[in-house]
Amino acid sequence: MAPSVLYHCPCFSRHLVPPPPHLASSSHSFHPLHTLFFCEECDAVRCNRCVSVEVSGYYCPNCLFEVPSASVRAEKNRCARNCFMCPNCRNTLSVVPSDPPDVGDGRIAPISTVGEPPFFLYCSHCRWDSAEVGITFEKPTGLAAQLQKSEDSAPDSLEFERLKEHFDPIIRASSLSSSSSAVPSSAAHSHHLHSTSITAAASAALARDIPGVGRYNPLSRSGRGTGSKDRSANKDEMPDYKSRMDATTASKMGSGGGLPDVEFMRHLENVSDVASLEQRWSYSWATSLQTKDLKPLRIPLHSKRSKRCPACTHILIKPEQKAQSVRYKIKLVAANYLPAISIALPHQVEKFGHASAEAAKRPYGKATVLTDEEKEAMSGLLAGETYPFHVSLTNPLYDPIQVKLSVQRMHVAAPSSDPGTASEKARRPPFVVSLSTTPFSVAAFAEAWEYDEDDDILDDDELEARLSGREKEPKPKTKTVGILEKRANITVVGGEVMLRKEARGNVKFNMLVSYTYRADDAPADMGSPSKSKAPATKTFAFYTVVELGPIIPREETRIDVDT
Amino acid sequence: MESPIYYSKSEFIETDTGNKVSRRATIAGPQNIILGGKTIISSGAIIRGDLRQSRPGHAVVISLGRYCLVGEGCVMRPPYKTYRGTFNYYPMKIGDHVHIGAGSVVEAATIGSHVEIGKNCIIGKFVIIKDCAKVADNSIVPPNTVIPALSFFAGSPAGFVEDLPESTQELVESQTKQFYQRFQPLDRDR
Ligand SMILES: [Zn+2]
Ligand SMILES: [Zn+2]
Ligand SMILES: [Zn+2]
Ligand SMILES: [Zn+2]
Repeated sequence: MAPSVLYHCPCFSRHLVPPPPHLASSSHSFHPLHTLFFCEECDAVRCNRCVSVEVSGYYCPNCLFEVPSASVRAEKNRCARNCFMCPNCRNTLSVVPSDPPDVGDGRIAPISTVGEPPFFLYCSHCRWDSAEVGITFEKPTGLAAQLQKSEDSAPDSLEFERLKEHFDPIIRASSLSSSSSAVPSSAAHSHHLHSTSITAAASAALARDIPGVGRYNPLSRSGRGTGSKDRSANKDEMPDYKSRMDATTASKMGSGGGLPDVEFMRHLENVSDVASLEQRWSYSWATSLQTKDLKPLRIPLHSKRSKRCPACTHILIKPEQKAQSVRYKIKLVAANYLPAISIALPHQVEKFGHASAEAAKRPYGKATVLTDEEKEAMSGLLAGETYPFHVSLTNPLYDPIQVKLSVQRMHVAAPSSDPGTASEKARRPPFVVSLSTTPFSVAAFAEAWEYDEDDDILDDDELEARLSGREKEPKPKTKTVGILEKRANITVVGGEVMLRKEARGNVKFNMLVSYTYRADDAPADMGSPSKSKAPATKTFAFYTVVELGPIIPREETRIDVDT
Repeated sequence: MESPIYYSKSEFIETDTGNKVSRRATIAGPQNIILGGKTIISSGAIIRGDLRQSRPGHAVVISLGRYCLVGEGCVMRPPYKTYRGTFNYYPMKIGDHVHIGAGSVVEAATIGSHVEIGKNCIIGKFVIIKDCAKVADNSIVPPNTVIPALSFFAGSPAGFVEDLPESTQELVESQTKQFYQRFQPLDRDR
């Protein structure tokens, strides 16, 4: 595994210091830089776990048609055009015509340009077709509308309609009463009341006593006075719901369960005649066990989403309206604010380069690109050895920054929960990282340095010189710790990691990165005018977790521990 | 810093626009193939520019944009169908910054820009892949599938797994450029 650097998002936790790298919770709070956002207002990193998300548009992932939000509910969040999913394998189904009538003497071109009716849905992956389950179409367009009738008469959708009818008056009544109350009804406020009355109605229904089930007491959970009053009022008003169909007789209607299923299983000859759980559980209704009863599924819609800062509600991500556009009206991503950090182990880079060169020299060499397995085998770090590593920082800002790196001391938990480990050894960190804490500068980002048409960041001569230099003689023993290289908006600093003889596990440590930048000369889109009174420099600090790779234990250590 | 990926200088032909094409690749009908520049065609790849509509003269059969990679042993074949009794091939269009992993077979109609296709995938006939999408290694994408922008597909048949991050475009762009830089000829004296 190549060395990696992940960035910390505190997600509102009061502990700004991330968990120690060897705990499982570490992976929960660290993310790749390109998945993070940055709120200028709060001056904080945000991640997908803590931002609030709003749907800004719906579209069908197959026909890519943008569905107005008004019709999304009516169409039950699914595409109402010609898009269906195979009930067997979830592939998209295609509409195919029947074979043209065979007149006998020769081929006759189809009468219609679209083909011969009846049409049916066909899966090009598993060869399921809708004619098998008795679904055919008169014309190849508007299939959803043609299927509507049978869909609407299905027991599950009838039951759903009935439930809606049952709850509608209750919801309407409670929202009416809330809007007519003394409180002035702003839209947001009435929405709030509206949703609480729905929740109240639902929890009242859930709170009913069921014989043999322990009593649920909603009052003990929430202490809000008005809420509980509403709830008790609703509980009294709500009429009993009677389902259309009795669950005990449902199996006779072909909707699964009971004796017919037992009978079917008894005469089963082919396992694939039984629909798998995966094929059945997305239905809202208990369905038949049999594969032959599976119906084509309308494709669920996808959404485009805006993202907001959870603290100040400023928008961090706002996509363009067009469904397939990959552009954004607003896109505040952390990569435009924080320096990008990458880590390399020079001994690995050299080995990979060498292996690739060897492969290129072979006359019929198959692979010049290393496989992951080959890399894995080469990238181990031997216990007891010392390895240099390179940290390269790329500045995304239009101003130079001063960066200070500090490796967080490993606090190995004092009481070892693992009874097998010898406490003396466990307490000593398995490796020691040396990295200079002296601040260094990273030059400003400039458009000219971007890779361009014919201008690569390294010109070929330089690259070749560097490559050949490395290969011809053993690497000149220059310093390995400190600033190694500065070019364009990149600075490379070196560090060293010393592995103890008894070390095992992963070389993984937390690193605090703090950088200072000029606040007043920030680009126009950074910071509001009110911020111009701020001091000339600002410092931002964030944590990262660096993983250099697995430690290959020494033979004697392994025996030592195993016994 | 990542290690360079060396190739033998004698194996690859480099064009004026920086395309690097392996002599061990099979390029059928080269006059019908467009490479946008800085695109790499690896060893053992097969590109069927010869499969085209039966019409006289030139026609673009397969076009690839800039900074693309056709991995080792990939097969790129234009899609075909019989429409109103006539059999025909249809052109295949691929955008910029598209990487196709080793051993994949592609018969797609269009692939947008900043798309990553894994190793050993089968991309069926007339598949449409929109910008910034990604297909996992070993996926089977059945014919006529549409893969929306910024979505990650995997499996057999390949299905939607998750949305990709908003910065995918920038990420893929820098990765494909870096790959091109790392792809270096080996010095002759070694
Ligand atoms: Zn977060
Ligand atoms: Zn659709
Ligand atoms: Zn299927
Ligand atoms: Zn904020």
